Amino acid sequence: MDLFLQRLFDALTNGSTYALIAVAMVLIFKATTLINFAQGEQAMLGAFIVLQLWKWGIPMWGAVVIGMIFSGILAACLERTFIRKFDPADHLPLVIITLGLFLVINAVAAIVWRFDPLSFPQLFPSGKAVTIGDARLSWYSIFAFGSCLLVLFILQTLLTKTKIGLAFRAVSSNLESSRLCGIKIGKTLQFGWALAAAAGTLGASIYAANPVLQIEPTIMLRALIFSITAAALGGLDSLWGALIGGLTIGFVQSVVVQYIPFIPNEMTLAAAVVVLLIVLTFRPSGFLGTKTVERV
Amino acid sequence: MAPKITLTRGTAQYQNLRILMWVSLVLFFLLIAFAYVDVGSIAIGSNKYNLSLIRLNKAIAYSVAILGLQVVVGYTGQIALGQSFFFGTGAYISAWLVADYSWPFLLTLVIVIPSCFLIGMILGLPALRIRGLYLALLTLGLAALFPTIVKLDSLYKYTGGAGGKLTTNKITGSQYKFAPPSWLPLDGIAQALQKIPLLGGYFGDGPLSNREEARMWKFILFSLVAAICFWLIANLIKSKPGRAMRAVRDNETSAAVSGVNLAMTKTISFGIASALGGIGGMIYVAEVGIASPDDFSSLVAIYLIVGLVVGGVGTLSGAVVGGLVYALIPDWASSTQSISFVPQRWLQGPTGSLILGLLLIVLTLFMPGGISTAAKKLKNRFITIQTQSKLTNS
Repeated sequence: MDLFLQRLFDALTNGSTYALIAVAMVLIFKATTLINFAQGEQAMLGAFIVLQLWKWGIPMWGAVVIGMIFSGILAACLERTFIRKFDPADHLPLVIITLGLFLVINAVAAIVWRFDPLSFPQLFPSGKAVTIGDARLSWYSIFAFGSCLLVLFILQTLLTKTKIGLAFRAVSSNLESSRLCGIKIGKTLQFGWALAAAAGTLGASIYAANPVLQIEPTIMLRALIFSITAAALGGLDSLWGALIGGLTIGFVQSVVVQYIPFIPNEMTLAAAVVVLLIVLTFRPSGFLGTKTVERV
Repeated sequence: MAPKITLTRGTAQYQNLRILMWVSLVLFFLLIAFAYVDVGSIAIGSNKYNLSLIRLNKAIAYSVAILGLQVVVGYTGQIALGQSFFFGTGAYISAWLVADYSWPFLLTLVIVIPSCFLIGMILGLPALRIRGLYLALLTLGLAALFPTIVKLDSLYKYTGGAGGKLTTNKITGSQYKFAPPSWLPLDGIAQALQKIPLLGGYFGDGPLSNREEARMWKFILFSLVAAICFWLIANLIKSKPGRAMRAVRDNETSAAVSGVNLAMTKTISFGIASALGGIGGMIYVAEVGIASPDDFSSLVAIYLIVGLVVGGVGTLSGAVVGGLVYALIPDWASSTQSISFVPQRWLQGPTGSLILGLLLIVLTLFMPGGISTAAKKLKNRFITIQTQSKLTNS
């Protein structure tokens, strides 16, 4: 029982961090029906910037905020330069551009910060919050989950209560009509990219602040597959779906796989890919996503 | 205005020029092979750039794998990014047969091709329902999965775990030897080339060692295998199934309306692509001598996509260009140790990855057809090829 609880707690921890990256994916998908393969790397770069700012003596949370703003601006520039000129309906060039960004950002980070793992400052109080038998829930897990909820709540408010949020939703629902209504499409999409990158940076910072992890340029490679699966599972255009998807993937990874004896421990990645395969085959719109209807 | 040459398809002049072009191309590559079998580096400034046959053999392996991507991405229009999975499968099956059952490398193709074809078709089945970006996601996940699969403890017997699978024969403990047949005087050719005045120095000196001879023979064999693959695919593209593939790429709905069997066309093209990936893997492992999990990571899948895009999506010659780019550029980037005005730090990191990423972005933005389409455009400015009109014929 204790072991089960412990695994459940692990699932919560992992799930929340996957959800944070998945939220960034969902934001971009909502706006542009594009999956940004460079999202994980952008987030990793943001986390490195946070680390650098912190080393320069800026207080921790200040560094996080500045890092988020910086990566938001960077993402807006990337969108303007590389993405906007392509037809959103033609997927191949966009996939290729984001793969290119993936390689470039990864290489730049590795050149600047090298491949050696660096320890990331603690964002949250350390230690255990709850102990039930042998199972321990750390403050980190609680805060990671809490910040995930907070981010979703803020985004929800931003998208439903502000003017730019309204424009964003209009663009994601119908691009042509919103153009006719006088919404500046480019600006709105740029806003979506910036928002996504900021959320991603926060996610990567929280991910790297995990006491058992250190930050290195390859940190997001594994998390990216899990986050993509989480986003697809929740339905690629649903914010709360990202949370549910993230938690489900965390659950599969930390609980389900551990109880199936013939699957070795390293195969959690395989489990994620299998989940992705099943979801995409039988319910392509995920848990909460909007069903697409194709007209001929 | 540049001088224009007009050629007419079907005339003797055109045929002769074509044959001349191909023969000189083959000769050129053979000369390169002889020139670089031994030393194989060009020095620019204080940097040495490797051009040895090892690189070229790798380039052949990548070219064949990228040819597979051309079939599935370029001609059928399915965004499948997981070619490294099949590249690795081919390499591992081949290494396993060679090491544990002392098969010759080329014979392993008998197993590699059908098994990769089948695996590709099975893994391609979800693609019947999954399209576009979702397929890209899934196939990239598959590519990420491959190293974990071969590292599984239960497969250790066949794959050698994290350490990789050597192709050294298990029983005799020796490497498989690529010995050229006795009727092919590679050594004699090399020595004859060395006797050419002025240029002879470029071809090394003295007779070829056994290892050099083996490398050269490998190069010739692999080139032949690759040439057969390219020839078959070129014919496939022009035939009925090939036209069906292009119809699927251009518009799935209208292809289905015109009577193209979507499911069949897609699965077959996945199968062919995977089989080509497997052949590429066989060539790779025959050159490198070890199949290790990290050589087939998802990063390799992305690099193969780079090769596809840089060469030109949907062109056969693009696969050759792409293979060369992938085999040479990261290697050259890491051997560039000093350029003035560039700080050391920027030369020692993963510069190859940076350059490939930049190439990917720049080419997609400014030269969407890749290098091979650009070359074709350049050619068209100087040479016009007309189709012979029926009137003059009769």
